[in-house]
Amino acid sequence: MAELIYSGLTKQFDGSAQPALDGIDARIESGEFVALLGPSGCGKTTLLRLTAGFEEPTGGEIRMGDTQVAGPGCFVPPEDRGVGIVFQSYALWPHMTVAGNVSYPLEVRGLARAERARRVEEALSLTGLTEFAHRAPAQLSGGQRQRVALARCLVAEPRAVLLDEPLANLDLALRASMQENFTAFHRRTGATMLYVTHDQGEALALATRVAVMERGRIRQFAAPEVLYSEPADCFVAGFVGDGAVVSASAAGPLGRNGLEVETMGLRVAARSNEALPTHLCIRPEDVSLTDEGGLRARVRGCTYQGGRFRVVLDTGGEDLVAFSRLRLEVGAQVGLRIDRPWAFREPGLSALPARATAHV
Amino acid sequence: MNLGVAKRSSRSEGRLLSWLLLPVALIALGPVVRLLLEGVGFGNGLTGDYLADVMSRDSTRKALTHSLVTAAGGTLLSVLIGGAFAFLVALTNVRARGALVFCLMVPMMIPPQITALAWMQVTGPSSVLLKMVGLAPPLGSPQPLHSPGGIILLLGIQHASIVFLTLRAGLRQIPADLVEAARMSGARGLRVWAQIVMPLTLPALGAGAAMAFVTALGNFGIPAMLGIPARYSTLPTLIYQRLVGFGPSALPEVAVLALLIGLVAIAGVLLARWLLARRSHGLVGLSGQPLSISLGRARLPVEIALWSFIAAILVLPMMALLFTSLIPAYGVPLTWANMTFDAWTEALLRQPMTRRAYVNSLGLALGAAAILMAVCLPLAWLMARRPSRATRAIDALVDLPYALPGVVLSIACILAFLDLPFTDLTLYGTIWIILLAYLARFLVVMLRPVQASVGQLDPAMEEAASAAGARLGRRLRTIVLPLAAPAAAAGAILVFLTAVNELTVSALLWSSGTETLGVVIFNLEDSGETIMASAVAMSIVLLIVCLMTGVQLMARRLPKGVVPWQS
Repeated sequence: MAELIYSGLTKQFDGSAQPALDGIDARIESGEFVALLGPSGCGKTTLLRLTAGFEEPTGGEIRMGDTQVAGPGCFVPPEDRGVGIVFQSYALWPHMTVAGNVSYPLEVRGLARAERARRVEEALSLTGLTEFAHRAPAQLSGGQRQRVALARCLVAEPRAVLLDEPLANLDLALRASMQENFTAFHRRTGATMLYVTHDQGEALALATRVAVMERGRIRQFAAPEVLYSEPADCFVAGFVGDGAVVSASAAGPLGRNGLEVETMGLRVAARSNEALPTHLCIRPEDVSLTDEGGLRARVRGCTYQGGRFRVVLDTGGEDLVAFSRLRLEVGAQVGLRIDRPWAFREPGLSALPARATAHV
Repeated sequence: MNLGVAKRSSRSEGRLLSWLLLPVALIALGPVVRLLLEGVGFGNGLTGDYLADVMSRDSTRKALTHSLVTAAGGTLLSVLIGGAFAFLVALTNVRARGALVFCLMVPMMIPPQITALAWMQVTGPSSVLLKMVGLAPPLGSPQPLHSPGGIILLLGIQHASIVFLTLRAGLRQIPADLVEAARMSGARGLRVWAQIVMPLTLPALGAGAAMAFVTALGNFGIPAMLGIPARYSTLPTLIYQRLVGFGPSALPEVAVLALLIGLVAIAGVLLARWLLARRSHGLVGLSGQPLSISLGRARLPVEIALWSFIAAILVLPMMALLFTSLIPAYGVPLTWANMTFDAWTEALLRQPMTRRAYVNSLGLALGAAAILMAVCLPLAWLMARRPSRATRAIDALVDLPYALPGVVLSIACILAFLDLPFTDLTLYGTIWIILLAYLARFLVVMLRPVQASVGQLDPAMEEAASAAGARLGRRLRTIVLPLAAPAAAAGAILVFLTAVNELTVSALLWSSGTETLGVVIFNLEDSGETIMASAVAMSIVLLIVCLMTGVQLMARRLPKGVVPWQS
């Protein structure tokens, strides 16, 4: 197992105006389970394919541990990188049995027959496929094929395991159980794993750290709980988790617990590490429905989510999201209070000084 | 950034494989280029005077006229037959379409000289069939097929399937809702056909006709068997007669003739491509159920008519051929008492020439199929996965040796291989020149199915193998080859089928000892050994039908477009 280090990694495909990857700098530690999360076209799959060696970068470099695998004047082809990959389509070879698929990487490495059989047996039992060893991939269900792909990838003891939306073709129930499989597998092997997905639930549930990508850049690379409670910019705040992003300005000095901000004509104590924030990320948990908060809002919508209602509130200009134990009538007026939301500064936006906004 | 270096180090295996393009281009396109150079006066070939001399000769103009007349007449007949079949099979609810199509395709796969031989056994004073029913014309009366009309009739039948296939493909692109809309507007029956279906399929029909014309123009077997006895030469037979009569010294002259047919053929091919490109333009994006018009009570009569026609063009000549091969002496009627397999045993077991021809033809066909299979797999992979200007050029030009008439390619091969560059060797008169010509001609027959198959492979299959540590050679061998094998096998059978009964190329390239089956049938018939010719021909027909059936049985497991008579 080895860490993956990207520096200044850029990929420009022929004939497209925008680079698919635009200066990626990141470090994935050995044994980490990292998810690449983002909308389609954000470059996450390109990053995975560059890591595997299926594409060559236009600029920048990739290192695996001590060795540079891609960079100026250097390119290690995929077959020499020692990474395993699980494709969205699984890419099982239809002309080989399950055991044949799994033992292929070992045959390529020229392992002795007995050693091969032992390791195939081991990989199959690890993925619970022992009884299917002599079936053709076509005779397996989606979940079983997924596990064959995983076993084939593991058997060679790769330096890193790359997964390209591996659950996208499975139904919901199967997804949940496969997610548990992945976590258990990661715990057991300690492999460095890079997991591409557009499903934030999957990313937050599985990964130790998540890289949120948009338009070829990593917007934030942090633990799931940090992404949720302390998003770095408007895109991450809006893409990950529920809630609202509203504009705000500093109304006090930055202290150890954050600062006072002014938003929606109100002064609110916010968590922050930014002296001049521009926005607030207000999660539903930050909003309580009470008449003592000093903010009035009209109910715009109310949907039941099992155990609670999700309420969309119109505060006169900005929409907030809150949870409620009781059903609220659309159009009703409610009072609300905002508790310590996260204040951040959108990169590229200059914040107005606190005093200037106070008069607005 | 130093991209150039990065590319060189990473794609070295792909680079190595690209060298494959060189021999492919040399063998497939080299001869054609050599012929073109001859046309512009390269080497000790011709000057403008010579060109003018050949062109102004009476025999040239006569042969050109004959070629155009017979090809045009045959095309007209092909359009009638193929068009009727296509409309009825593709548009209506006739039953057993698969069997009908298969039977219509058999004449295309049977070599033309065998078709001609078989039809000559149907008509004429010595026809066993006519004798058995007492309808034979009196002895000494001429063979009615030894005439322009006979050539036109057989060319029409032989190439009807070309029109059929193109037209059916066009008809399948017409969405049913266009016809339904016409019906909603009150049009019915023939009116729908004439005002909606016909106009939409005209380009496809035109393209099919153009291709049938090109093929008919290049046909050697039929005019050779029917025209030479009647002293009616077309351009291919004129070239043959000149080359046989004067040897390589006639090369400059026949090169001009070959260029002449080549030009007409290329014009036809371009016309067909242009028409097909126009067709797909208007109907793109429309989808829906293919058409199926109910014939109602007319279905049974239509079916009877279609099958009677198949009987007339397929069963009748084949029966005549079979009967002729079973009589003890030419001119004798066949009875149960005098039926004999003497000609069969003589031809297949005793005659050294026919046995040699069998060995040569089977060897050449097997060799060509095997070599092409080995070449086309990496070639198709290169074209699909590492496209470059070179692969695209080869992709576009590789049709040329197959689309050009066989005589043209033969002349081109003789010119290219008569004196091997940098050596004193010549391939002329050896079996290797035939093999090289076959490789050039049938490359595309093998390449297209393999290309279709490789194109359908999920690239992730190879990427998975690559991530597993397998290098290019191993990936090709263990992943691409097994997955493309069915298509490659079908392609190999098609190459084998086409090569084993090939006459046009080998007629010009053979010499004593390197006869092929096509040449032997031609020579046997030429020297009056009709019964033995029939026996050899019949044995080839059986071989062809068996191979075609084999491909048919594989068809379900093959990608679309691999089996030429299915789509």
